[in-house]
Amino acid sequence: MPTLKINGQDVTVEKGTTIIRAAEQLGISIPHYCYHPGLSIAGNCRMCLVEVEKMPKPQISCHIQCQDGMVVQTESEKVKKLRQHVLEFLLVNHPLDCPVCDQAGECRLQDYYMEHGLYDSRVNENKVKKTAKAKPIGPTIMLDSERCILCSQCVRFTDEITKTGEFGIFNRGDHSEIGVGKELDNKYSGNVADICPVGALTDRDFRFKCRVWYLQKTESVCPGCARGCNITIEANLERPQHGSGERVMRLKPRFNDQVNDWWMCDEGRYGYKFIDHDRIHQPIMRIAGAVRQVEWDEIVDDFLKSFKKLKAKDEIAVLVSPQMTNEELYLAKRFFAKDLGIEQIYLVRNKLDGYQDDLLLRADKHPNRKGAEWIGFVEHDKQTNALLDKLGKQFKGLIIFGQDIVSLFPNRNVTDSLSNLELTAFIGSNYNLTSECVQYVFPAATYAEKNGTFTNFEDRVQRIRKAFPALGESKTESEILRIFADKLHFEWPYKTEEDVFNGLVRSVNLFQGLNYKKIGTGGIKIS
Amino acid sequence: MPGLRINMEKLISRFFDLQDADTLSLYRKEGGYAAAKRALDLKPAAIEEEVKRSNLRGLGGAGFGCGMKWSFVPRNTGKPIYLVVNADEGEPGTFKDKYIMTYVPHLLLEGIIIASWAVGIHKAYIYIRGEYELPYLKLKAAVDEAYQAGLLGKNILGSSFDLDVVIHRGAGAYICGEETGLLESLEGKKGFPRLKPPFPAVVGLFGCPTVINNVETLSYLPFIVKSGGDWFAKLGSEKNGGLRLFSVSGHVENPGVYELSMGVTLREIIYQHAGGIRDGKKLKAVVPGGLSAAILTPNEIDVKMDFDSLKAIGSMGGSAGVIVMDETASMVEALRITMQFFAHESCGQCTPCREGTGWIYRILNRIVRGKGRLEDLDHLIDIGNYLGGTTICALADGAQMTFLSYLKKFRGEFEQFIRKSHLKENYANT
Amino acid sequence: MSEFFILTQEIRKKADQICTNYPVKRAATLPVMRLVQEYYGAISREAELELAEYFNIPPADIRELMTFYTLFYSKPKGKCHIQICRTLSCALRGAEDLVHYLENKLGIKTGETTTDNQFSLDHAECLGACEIAPMAQINKEFVGPLTKAKLSQILKQNYAGIAD
Repeated sequence: MPTLKINGQDVTVEKGTTIIRAAEQLGISIPHYCYHPGLSIAGNCRMCLVEVEKMPKPQISCHIQCQDGMVVQTESEKVKKLRQHVLEFLLVNHPLDCPVCDQAGECRLQDYYMEHGLYDSRVNENKVKKTAKAKPIGPTIMLDSERCILCSQCVRFTDEITKTGEFGIFNRGDHSEIGVGKELDNKYSGNVADICPVGALTDRDFRFKCRVWYLQKTESVCPGCARGCNITIEANLERPQHGSGERVMRLKPRFNDQVNDWWMCDEGRYGYKFIDHDRIHQPIMRIAGAVRQVEWDEIVDDFLKSFKKLKAKDEIAVLVSPQMTNEELYLAKRFFAKDLGIEQIYLVRNKLDGYQDDLLLRADKHPNRKGAEWIGFVEHDKQTNALLDKLGKQFKGLIIFGQDIVSLFPNRNVTDSLSNLELTAFIGSNYNLTSECVQYVFPAATYAEKNGTFTNFEDRVQRIRKAFPALGESKTESEILRIFADKLHFEWPYKTEEDVFNGLVRSVNLFQGLNYKKIGTGGIKIS
Repeated sequence: MPGLRINMEKLISRFFDLQDADTLSLYRKEGGYAAAKRALDLKPAAIEEEVKRSNLRGLGGAGFGCGMKWSFVPRNTGKPIYLVVNADEGEPGTFKDKYIMTYVPHLLLEGIIIASWAVGIHKAYIYIRGEYELPYLKLKAAVDEAYQAGLLGKNILGSSFDLDVVIHRGAGAYICGEETGLLESLEGKKGFPRLKPPFPAVVGLFGCPTVINNVETLSYLPFIVKSGGDWFAKLGSEKNGGLRLFSVSGHVENPGVYELSMGVTLREIIYQHAGGIRDGKKLKAVVPGGLSAAILTPNEIDVKMDFDSLKAIGSMGGSAGVIVMDETASMVEALRITMQFFAHESCGQCTPCREGTGWIYRILNRIVRGKGRLEDLDHLIDIGNYLGGTTICALADGAQMTFLSYLKKFRGEFEQFIRKSHLKENYANT
Repeated sequence: MSEFFILTQEIRKKADQICTNYPVKRAATLPVMRLVQEYYGAISREAELELAEYFNIPPADIRELMTFYTLFYSKPKGKCHIQICRTLSCALRGAEDLVHYLENKLGIKTGETTTDNQFSLDHAECLGACEIAPMAQINKEFVGPLTKAKLSQILKQNYAGIAD
């Protein structure tokens, strides 16, 4: 375990640690472009040069390993001048695109210029011309090769992480240009826009949508599959005139070395449109041929009136979903099973199994199947089949938590079956074929509009956080169940989502000892 | 003692004038391969020791002690050790390896055998620059002859030592003459030099310990084995052993390859051996060690042409490519052409080299076309100061060294050129 | 793509032989690319894709080699390929004048080929033949020291239709 001095401070590190990592441990950040902890070391940008005593030339801190007794300077005059000059070199052929470049505000050329540059340009020559200006290189990424600083992060990403090898650096010298040998359409292509330190590779989906300094960022977890990649929801809440009123501008992955490292898949990254599109804004009632948008009081009262007419125990069925949070599933169990005595509660999927690989993608496209299992809900295809058979014949009432069973089971005549029921209710966030057939439609919030927890396929409990209020009149499933409970005079002690979680912890062994604080931003794995 | 006939003044270059020296039969008649046979009877460590004593330095340009370099190779990793012969000869002003491969390729092969035995190598790759056609054909013919005669392959020269040689042709890139750039190219990729450490001696070709030696360096080994390291060392100057092949070109009467002692002076090379300046003109400047070496003025030419002496006066021995310029040469134009070369050959990995060489070249171009300003000169020096000492390989270091030397030693000429071009412009505008 | 059209069986046989010289197949890319270029005069985009397939590497990697190394051509050169050196020793001996001379005589600029495909003119950086400066590589041969007269003779030898 070598001990070295960086800027006069001592630090002891594991053998093999590079200087840049050791500096991180001390809270000293060394500017860099080509270095990425998840990729191999390229050492070509030369921005991370530092002075090491007894070594004749400045050394790149991303590559040199710490030795016992090393003395490193990262802020000496010499190092500062070096950085200025490396920056100057990078900007010699860089186009003045800031006004039209999406990277502005999160661009390391801009940031380092303000921190380490602040010199006047001395370039009086024409810039070297490159060939690709605003060229789409695939469905998700736009290439501007003039902006590229040839750090080769994208090349290493497609070589080492996705192993698809799309990127290459062609030509040599200052005519070097980044490009692709085939279309960039692997399932993780969006990540290259994240790692590109400048605006050479930008996200087509996010293009020109919103300046990044208007974005409000909330830490959350992607609900797209059972892995639960850690993400940040980045929303534009103050300028609805940008992006035609959409709130979510983009999703970005958040580092978690236990779940997704620095990456997320394209399916999850671009699968946020449902948060702002096709949402059910207001409660809807479909009684006796008349479709009306109603207020909450009316629909709740009317629903509960019809509800009380049926025998809870075996005449009503409830479909809970592996997309629901632990808190919602706990409340659903408490309300339907415990307080009302309903026996027919089924866990039914909302999505078919999909593509899986050994990077991030999981076949199970629901975020909380494990959580549901721990709370006592397991999906059995046989049971689901039996349920679909009994629809309309044995049951009289069905409450659906968002599943589009009409589309999921196309050969089972679900529409007809639903019309034969006396009581049908849909609690979900987006319109689908099923929500169009039921009597009572309760608009629910999406994962971005609530607090809660999911348990991923590796037994990790992770928190989602509310990024903005629920759209229109929609409420979280948790709130809806609490309204029902309140109206039926059940004494529930829950005021916030955290209260619900604490209640869950008390009643389900596997969640023993957890609380929101402990789960934090990285989640906790239950052994 | 068996071995090649020694002409004290000409060891290697004697073969350049000998007809059919490229054939095995004549080479053997001249005593060829006897030293290799003798070496196979000696302990490898003994040979390494002899080479260390000879002060044989890397004659491709780096000048690193050959024996010392061999000693860095770990012999017990369980991985095969490779020998890579650097026949890329890309440093402008250098053409001596071409002569060896064209006129006496068997000498190189004999040197390869000795080096391989000394380090425990069974596979050697000769990386020859792609533009060389005749040298390649001669080398290939020699390798074929050697295999047929049991000098290469299994159990060479009647011993139990196996050695294979593969000739690998380059495809046109100066940076592939850089050790690790060469390795990358040999592995089938672009010639991007690698980060060091680790060094090729430990992690080289295909991840295995590797010795990289220049053609000429290896070609002196048969003489060292025959007559001993001390003898070879004495032929040169202190710590710089033996003779070396100086490639002389530019404004001399007799451009060509001259085999001379390491201790020879630049003055002797130009005036005693290369016939002096052509057409009776006066010397203006000399590049002593290939394009990357700092330029020297006429009052610096009494320097000894060994690595250490040239380093002491701020230049370098390099590849011994001596480019002579007389009074008709324009230093501004010479520097422009020099930087054009480096800008064209920069691999493009590192920021300072990639952007710096191109930027400097474009400024020089502007100056040469008459649109320069006096402020450009100090600006150029500032850029040049950060060109080298900051990159993965030494291309930028060489470019920096020569670039700054022009601006330092011929500043007056640059200033005059710029002022004159202003006058021309003003005059043209009136 | 599992069928090879440009890499014929004969070429692949030779390529396989070359590959046996290296413990890693990929190391043979440069010699095999040279082989393909010797057959066809150039390495077309389709040939690049087949080479990528042959070596089992991404197409971008072959494209990188094509654009990095100066001796690989995407389009064939003319019958007589003149590569004239422009580095220091040759420049000192008047190479620039010779380039202008050739450009005038052939009616093309460096980097171009005459419309009848007879001549291609290119710059070269130091070819390691400074003792015969100013020089050029004409097809495979190093020729020098050059003069305008000598060049005129060479041009005539390669194409009778060159005007004096």
